[in-house]
Amino acid sequence: LNAAPRRPPRQHVRFLPVPSGGDGGTTGLVATRVPVLADHPLVRGPQFRRLKIGAGHRLDVKASGVFVLGMGHGNKLLTDLYNCHLTKVYTVGGLFGKATDDFSDTGKLVEKTTFDHITREKLERILAVIQGTNHKALLMHSNIDMKTQEAYELAVKGLIRPMGKSPPIITAIRCLQFTLPEFQLEIHCLHETQQYLRKMVHEIGLELKSSAVCTQVRRIRDGVFTLEDALLRTQWDLQSVQKAIWDCQLKVKAELEKTLG
Amino acid sequence: PEAAAMWRALRGARRPAAAETALRRGLGQAAGPRSVRQLREAEEAAPVFQYAGKAAKRKDRVFVWGFCYSGALGVPSFVKPDAGWKKPRRIQPTPYRLETEEKISSAACGYGFTLLSSNTTDITKVWGMGLNKDSQLGFQRSRRDRTKGYEYVLEPSPIPLPLEKPQQTRVLQVSCGRAHSLILTDSEGVFTMGNNSYGQCGRKVVEDETYSESHLIHQLKEFDSRVVQVVCGQDHSLFRTKKGTVYACGWGADGQTGLGHYNITSVPTKLQGDIAGVNIIQVSSYGDCCLAVSDEGDVFGWGNSEYLQLASVTETTQVNVPRHLPFKIGKIKEAACGGTGNIVLTEEGNVFVWGYGILGKGPNLIETAVPEMIPPSLFGWSDFNPDVRVAHVRCGLSQFAALTNRGELFVWGKNLRGCLGTGRMEDQYFPWRVTVPGEVVDVACGVDHMVSMVKSFT
Repeated sequence: LNAAPRRPPRQHVRFLPVPSGGDGGTTGLVATRVPVLADHPLVRGPQFRRLKIGAGHRLDVKASGVFVLGMGHGNKLLTDLYNCHLTKVYTVGGLFGKATDDFSDTGKLVEKTTFDHITREKLERILAVIQGTNHKALLMHSNIDMKTQEAYELAVKGLIRPMGKSPPIITAIRCLQFTLPEFQLEIHCLHETQQYLRKMVHEIGLELKSSAVCTQVRRIRDGVFTLEDALLRTQWDLQSVQKAIWDCQLKVKAELEKTLG
Repeated sequence: PEAAAMWRALRGARRPAAAETALRRGLGQAAGPRSVRQLREAEEAAPVFQYAGKAAKRKDRVFVWGFCYSGALGVPSFVKPDAGWKKPRRIQPTPYRLETEEKISSAACGYGFTLLSSNTTDITKVWGMGLNKDSQLGFQRSRRDRTKGYEYVLEPSPIPLPLEKPQQTRVLQVSCGRAHSLILTDSEGVFTMGNNSYGQCGRKVVEDETYSESHLIHQLKEFDSRVVQVVCGQDHSLFRTKKGTVYACGWGADGQTGLGHYNITSVPTKLQGDIAGVNIIQVSSYGDCCLAVSDEGDVFGWGNSEYLQLASVTETTQVNVPRHLPFKIGKIKEAACGGTGNIVLTEEGNVFVWGYGILGKGPNLIETAVPEMIPPSLFGWSDFNPDVRVAHVRCGLSQFAALTNRGELFVWGKNLRGCLGTGRMEDQYFPWRVTVPGEVVDVACGVDHMVSMVKSFT
C-alpha cells in the first residue's frame, strides 16, 4: 500500500529571490509555487502505519464460511449493517447416532443410539415445527403491537423482524441432503451463534428419539455478502481486497438505504 | 458413563446388550490424556441405546385448553386441586395433554361441556365432561348418593348408550350444542340427550319436563337413508344423510331449521328450498346460522342473518328457507359457521371469511357481507414453503381455527377466557400459530374452550 504512488505534495506560493546575473544588482523577488516541505516523503514517512480492521458477525473456530471485515472507514458501515438485522444463511452438516458434550463430533462421547427408524419425512416434520415456533418468536420479539392494522399488513408481507436485541431466531430451515446417518440442513437465522446451531442439531436428534452431532457449520451468506464475494486464503492480497471493496460498495449502500432509510 | 446413566434414567431406554464397563477404565491402566487410538477404541466399544425401533408407531393424543371451572377440559385437578395449598386454575392458556384410555376419533365442544368418542367396539365408546345440568352428558350417577346425578362432571366419564348390539356398533361422530348433544352410530341411528324444550332432541316437547338427572336418551332412526353427519346449532339439530338430504329439528325463531316457518319442530323434517334435489356433502352450524356445501362446490345458507351472514342474497335478518349464496370465489370444499362470522375453504386451499366480528384481516375489518380472502402467507406459505395449504376450517362461537396440511393449527378471533390457546389473554386479529407438541389432525372449538386430536411426531 505504501509503495503505491502517493498523493502529489501540496503546493504553496513563496517569494523567492531571483538568481541575478552574477555581478551585483537589485535582487528581485518572484512568486513561485513550490511544494510544501512538510509533505516531502522523507519528512512524512510511510503513509499508512496502521490500518483499522473491524470484524462483522463472529465466526467460531470450528466453523467456516463468509466472514465480513470492515477496513478503515468501513468500520462505520459495520455498525449500520449490524443494525439492519439481516439474516445469515448456514449449511449445517449433522450425523445421527452419537451425542457428545459440546454437540460437535470432536467432543467427548456421551451416548450412542440407533437411528434406523429415522426417515426423511420425520425429519421434515420436525423442521416444519421448528420453523413454526421460530416464526412465532419472530413476531413476538419484533415489539410491534399485534392489535394494530399495521402489524397485520407487515405480517402478510412477511416483513416483521426484530429490530433490536432478541434471542436467536431461525427464519427458515430445510433439509438439503439426507443419507443415513448423515444429513445436511440449510438454516436462515438471526442473532445466532454457531454453538446455538450445533445445539439445534443435537435437539433435532433428541426429538427424533435418537441423537445427533454437528459435523460442519459453514456460513454461506451474511446479509448481502455471499460466497461469490468472499476472498479465498490465496486471494488475501492487496489487489483482490481493493477489487472486492469496490465491487460491493454499491450493494451495501443500496441495502442500508432500503432498511435504515 | 454417569451422564449416560442419567440420560437412560430420564428416557427409559432398554438395557444394552454390550457390557457397560467399556467406558470405565480398570485400576491396571495408567491415567493421563488418552491417545487418539484409545479414544476411538473406547468410542467403538461404547454401548448403543435404542429408544425407538423401526416399527415405532406415532401415538395419538388429545390436547385441551380454555376455561377450566366448568370441568369441560376433563382435568379434575384444575377445579379441585389435589393438594390443599394449590389453587384452582381458572384458565388453561396453552394446550394441555389429556390422558384418555382409547384413541379418540371424534370430539365436540358444547357450551361448557365436551364429548369425546372412539370408534372402538368396546362397551364404552363415548366419554363426556363438563356441565351436566340438562343431562347433556347422560345420567352420571353420583358416587355419594346413588339416586342423584352429577351436575358437573370433572373427568371424562363414560356415557352408557342403550345400544342393541353394543359390541358391534361403532360411534362415528359426536356433536354438542348449547344444552343438548347428538351421537351418530354406524348402524343404530342417532342418539340424542339433553335439553328438549325446543324439540332439539328430535322428540315431542313435554311441558315442565325436568332435564337434569334424566335417564332419557332418545334414538332417531327414521331417515330416508343412513345419517352420515350430525351437527348441533345452539338450540337446533341438523342431520345429513347419505343421499345428500338435510333434516332439521329444534328451535326455529331465526329460521335456523330452514323448514319455511319460524316455529319449533320436534320431529326431524326434510329441508327443501334451494337444496331440494342437491347432493349436500357437508353441513355446519354452531350459533343460529347454518351453511351447507354441495358436491358441486356451491354453498347454501339459512338461519340468522343479523350479522350480514346472508346479506349477499337478502336484506331480511331471518332466512327460514335454504338459499344459494352466489359467491364467485371458486369451488368450495368445506364451510364452518360461527356465532356471528362464517368461513369457507375452497378447492385451491384459500380461506374466505365474512360476517361480523374479528374476521382475521386485522382490526380494521369488522364486518363484511361478501367473502374476503385471508392471504396464505399468514398460514405459513412463503417462497421457501410454497406447498403449505389449509386443509380444514373450524368455527367456535367467536373464534376461527384453520388446520394446514403440515399439521399446524392457526386460530384467530375473540380470546374468550383463553380459548385460543396462544398463551396470551388478548384477542387475535389475524391467524396465529398454536404451539402443540405434535401434528394436529382435528380440532373442535367451543365457546370458551377447544379440544384437539394430535399425532405425535415420531
